[in-house]
Amino acid sequence: MDTSSPAVFVNAELLRTYVGRKVRAVVQVIGFDGGVVTGKSVDDQQLIIKGSPPSVPVMNYIEVIGIADSNQSIRAELWTNFGSTFDTHSYNQLCLLANGEFKSLFL
Amino acid sequence: MAKSITPDAISTILSNPSPDSSSELPEIIVQVIDLTPIGNRYKFTANDGKMKLKAMFPSSFSSEINSGNIQNLGLIQVIDYTLNDIPSKQEKYLIVTKCEAVSPALEVEFKTEVKSEETGILLKPKQVVEIQNEVKGEGTGIFLKPKQEIVAKSAAQIVNEQHGNMAPAARMAMTRRVHPLVSLNPYQGNWTIKVRLTNKGTMCTYKNARGEGCVFNVELTDEDGTQIQATMFNEAARKFYEKFQLGKVYYISKGALKVANKQFKTVQNDYEMTLNENSEVEEASNEETFIPETKFKFVEIEELGPYVNGKELVDVIGVVQSVSPTMSIRRKSNNDVVPKRDITIADKTKKTVVVSLWNDHATNVGQELLDNADKFPIVAIKSLKVGDFQGVSLSTLSKSIVLVNPETPESQKLRSWYDSEGKGASMASIGSDISPSSKGGARSMYYDRVSLSHVTSNPSLGEDKPSFFSIRAYISFIKPDQTMWYRACKTCNKKVTDAIGSGYWCEGCQKNDDECSLRYIMVVKVSDASGEAWLSVFNEQAERIFGCSADELDKLKSQEGEENLFLQKLKGAIWVPHLFRISVAQHEYMNEKRQRITARAVVPVDFAAESRLLLEEISKMKTSQ
Repeated sequence: MDTSSPAVFVNAELLRTYVGRKVRAVVQVIGFDGGVVTGKSVDDQQLIIKGSPPSVPVMNYIEVIGIADSNQSIRAELWTNFGSTFDTHSYNQLCLLANGEFKSLFL
Repeated sequence: MAKSITPDAISTILSNPSPDSSSELPEIIVQVIDLTPIGNRYKFTANDGKMKLKAMFPSSFSSEINSGNIQNLGLIQVIDYTLNDIPSKQEKYLIVTKCEAVSPALEVEFKTEVKSEETGILLKPKQVVEIQNEVKGEGTGIFLKPKQEIVAKSAAQIVNEQHGNMAPAARMAMTRRVHPLVSLNPYQGNWTIKVRLTNKGTMCTYKNARGEGCVFNVELTDEDGTQIQATMFNEAARKFYEKFQLGKVYYISKGALKVANKQFKTVQNDYEMTLNENSEVEEASNEETFIPETKFKFVEIEELGPYVNGKELVDVIGVVQSVSPTMSIRRKSNNDVVPKRDITIADKTKKTVVVSLWNDHATNVGQELLDNADKFPIVAIKSLKVGDFQGVSLSTLSKSIVLVNPETPESQKLRSWYDSEGKGASMASIGSDISPSSKGGARSMYYDRVSLSHVTSNPSLGEDKPSFFSIRAYISFIKPDQTMWYRACKTCNKKVTDAIGSGYWCEGCQKNDDECSLRYIMVVKVSDASGEAWLSVFNEQAERIFGCSADELDKLKSQEGEENLFLQKLKGAIWVPHLFRISVAQHEYMNEKRQRITARAVVPVDFAAESRLLLEEISKMKTSQ
């Protein structure tokens, strides 16, 4: 297992701290248009996901792993469909814990 | 009566280094210790219990010592002496020029801290002990030629002590021979104990086949800290109920001892005591009343879940929200009528719970609470039983202690919380959070959550009554070659036997049937992050685990073919996570006590809820650090 460059669990708030770094995030697909997916982050903010998405049904949750290229966007390399039910609250808490108290466990 | 050591004898000697004539001297009696020969004389240390003084007998006394008149650890009256200075040191040296042996060897070096009773005992001669010491070569260098009759008495005493029997009652007249609680046993009735009443239960009435009765019990603690429960029935109960007061010290004798009933054990003692009308209870007048401060270990209302139906008693503190009038409850078991009162209390967790006060608690403190209900008093209660009526219910026992508006820090904190925010806050009953076994018991899967290791590492769980918990675990192994089902009557589900001829016979329905159904009864192995355990599973739960009935699984089993569909079905059931409601009980198997864990309900895991539970656990970890 290649653990050389772990992707940081981020929500919209944390994304700005990791611009330029490899991140992972779960967003709910609001719409997509060309090569860009508009998603709602787990902390209810808008994020732009760039790349070539596989067909993702709107309102589903997807996880994207890629480089954060601005405060609000991620250039995704990997896409995973997480289905239509997802507990955003727990994931948001996970992001906070993984970057806060338990950072050493993740990075 | 034996003479005893003069208090401050050494100080008296030191203050009068060169007495003129022996007639002016006060009585000075000291203990001889460290008696050692030097040449043809003996040196020793004079001990008055508080101070010691180096001393010397002139050679004229050596014969007295050699003959055993003056003994090490014995007492002498100093009739004439001089006090010399030791040249190089600041110490004095006592030369005893005239003395008289007053007592043979005491048991030990005398110290003034020794309590007076024990002194009385110590001063009895124990010469035979001395001889034994000598034989062991403890090197005191004393020859003891005890007089015949003293030996006889001492030997009897030694024998008594070896058997742990206590001195006969005749001695009581002299000193009250008090026995430590730890020495009591059912086979020796002649004892007296000196104990403090550390807990007094309320008087309970009962009815059984022999008629009506009343009973109460008390907790007695002696000086060593040993405790024992004493019970009184009927006449004895009435006789001693008023006499026994919390915190007072009593001499008690003529009680009966028997092995304690482990089910009702309240204190650490293999025995329990019963007092009848002939038992003697006398208040120790020279002892102070000491009411031990009630020590509480409060459980917040929200945390009561895991204690439901458990053995452990809890303490709670809360603000009284309402008090019911007294109700008379008829006991189903014996048609007895007992008073009961329900109070509702609330605490900082914004949860409420109902506490049932029984007997005296209902009539006495219950009335006090009713009278003051409009002031929302704080009540602290110790030793409550936790039941599952309406989810969670608390009940007093005879040993429960109810304090109204106690002057403790917790009480203050509750008061200020209530006055500031509690009063207006909307509260919810803890019971509604924990309603047991709704369809599948889904709700109850979150409150008594434990890890498997908590169950398996605690062999005494469910000792009297089964304990209930919820767990989240994976089914990790199902033995394919176990008997997984039994033949059941289609009507009543009880086990059927082969009928004579054909068909099946049901003992319960008392009839034959050509057909029967198969119902699951099996064990599966479950695992979670902490460990693993075997779980007994019955029909309803197994159907959920396999997703098919026992009849269907049986058909698969008997199917032949390349694909073993039966094994595949089993395989499909493992490594699936479930939420289980389990009961833990004990049963004997080949003379060994074994833990039996039974699945009462199975539901699928709700991952969102589980995540929240985990987040809660994480935050609890943080605050406890």
